Amino acid sequence: MSGALRWLGALVLLAGASFFMSDYHNDVYRKLMLWVTLALGYNFLFGICGQVAFSHFAFYGIGAYSVVILLFQLHVPLPIAIVLGVAVCILVALAVAIPSTRLEGFYLALATLALGQLFIVVLNEGGAVTGGNGGIANYRLPDIFGVRIRGPWYTAVIATLLVGTFALLWRLDHSWFGRACRAIRDNAEAAAAMGVNVARVKVIVFTLTSALAGITGMVYAFVDNTVNPPIFGIDNAFLLLFMVIVGGAGRHAGAIIGAVLLFLLPFFLSPLVGHHHVLVFGLLVVGAILAAPKGLIGLYDAFRRS
Amino acid sequence: MPSAVLEVRNLTKRFGGLTAVTGLDFEVGEGEILGVIGPNGAGKSTTFNVIAGTFGADQGEVRFAGVPILGLAQHRIAALGVMRTFQHNRPFSGMPVLDNVMVGAHTRFRKGLWSVLLNRSLNEESERRRKAQELVEFVGLGGLAEADVATLSFGQGRLLEIARALAGEPRLLLLDEPAAGLTPDELARLAEIIRGIAARGIAVLLIEHDMHFLLPLAHRVVVLNFGAKIADGLPAEIRADPAVADAYLGSHASAR
Repeated sequence: MSGALRWLGALVLLAGASFFMSDYHNDVYRKLMLWVTLALGYNFLFGICGQVAFSHFAFYGIGAYSVVILLFQLHVPLPIAIVLGVAVCILVALAVAIPSTRLEGFYLALATLALGQLFIVVLNEGGAVTGGNGGIANYRLPDIFGVRIRGPWYTAVIATLLVGTFALLWRLDHSWFGRACRAIRDNAEAAAAMGVNVARVKVIVFTLTSALAGITGMVYAFVDNTVNPPIFGIDNAFLLLFMVIVGGAGRHAGAIIGAVLLFLLPFFLSPLVGHHHVLVFGLLVVGAILAAPKGLIGLYDAFRRS
Repeated sequence: MPSAVLEVRNLTKRFGGLTAVTGLDFEVGEGEILGVIGPNGAGKSTTFNVIAGTFGADQGEVRFAGVPILGLAQHRIAALGVMRTFQHNRPFSGMPVLDNVMVGAHTRFRKGLWSVLLNRSLNEESERRRKAQELVEFVGLGGLAEADVATLSFGQGRLLEIARALAGEPRLLLLDEPAAGLTPDELARLAEIIRGIAARGIAVLLIEHDMHFLLPLAHRVVVLNFGAKIADGLPAEIRADPAVADAYLGSHASAR
């Protein structure tokens, strides 16, 4: 039970902090937590299960657009919109995962890259449904039992999502399922010989992490109260990849460190180098791959051992 | 044979125009060590891979505990109780030794992702970890349970392959040239371990190139040449068989 208490403690800390922040810092803090949530899910898919997919951020967008379209274009009640939004993410994930995991890893990368691009095209060409180039704006979260959730209370919702996602993935990782994922990453043929249903585990992980990204996107939809195509561009899919690699692929702590670092870095770099911070990211990634393939968390481990 | 764990009947496997295995028949009983030998290209590895589910076959039948397993996916065959090692070690390089062995126990966990999310899976996890630790000690890697697999020697890696396969609680263990690349000391240790495995009642199918390792160890030996069985008998009979000496040992050995 002490495990559950620890998660609860983390939630109270993360949610509580937002009550002491200005509106601006609350906004940054919310986005930071959303990125950490995404990075944790992507790390499970890429770092733990070894699936090179670029669709994680697209599912974030699919979740956000789904819930907004369902609520404000189709006027579906909130609980049903959430369930349907998750269902959309699961269906799209299955449609991508089932054919592409039957092929070798490279095809998953291609198929998911295509999905990410296709998603942007659909958003731009979606006419009145998606709002085209301008997207959809000027909506707000419907009241829940007459209560309007806003300010630090909505930040608490995001903290709950982060802690819940982390707890779920942590539990899966520390079980036969997580070991099967790592076995597939390390040597798929040996994993199959040990009785792991490789295709099934891959489809489950892809679908689960994509659905988690979709839920994160639904929560994001009420952070800026606007969804539009540039937010969900393919460059963010690579930023997620960079976060996991710089932090340390395959490690939850690595995903968290990478996400925090690469999310906050532009705030400090922009005054110095303007929009060229992407260049710094590129150097960081190349540096990580060459000098520290286990990422910052790997460096920390080596430092502690010495 | 009343208690055959593995029965292979009339097995034929072709690769295009090449017939790798022709009309092969043999069986392995509980607690028996069956050696399969033959020169390079005799069809040993093909036979092995057909039984393990890596390849299909063109003809014939493979039964495990009376159940036909030919054409089943590898993970299905493992779940039934057929575990294997690889000729070239294939560890899971991102995990310590003990976790490698735990992957071998994959099919022995109570399944269902929901049970993972509940506390009751924790007991099962620690119980399996204890059993895996016993297996690590059984193969003589006791002090290395938490070691990074990259730090193991080749011979230790081979022992890890065996411990990992045993974690699946097999009734049939398939060993693909386990002696290859081992030092004389390691060979002696390996022979002891294989005897210990058979003593537990596990059927052992041992594909091997090295006669000097195999003959003292196997209870029975099948000899393949050009994909067909040319002899099947006790190690002493195999040693004395002139057809075997011709095909396998060649003039070099008969001159000895």
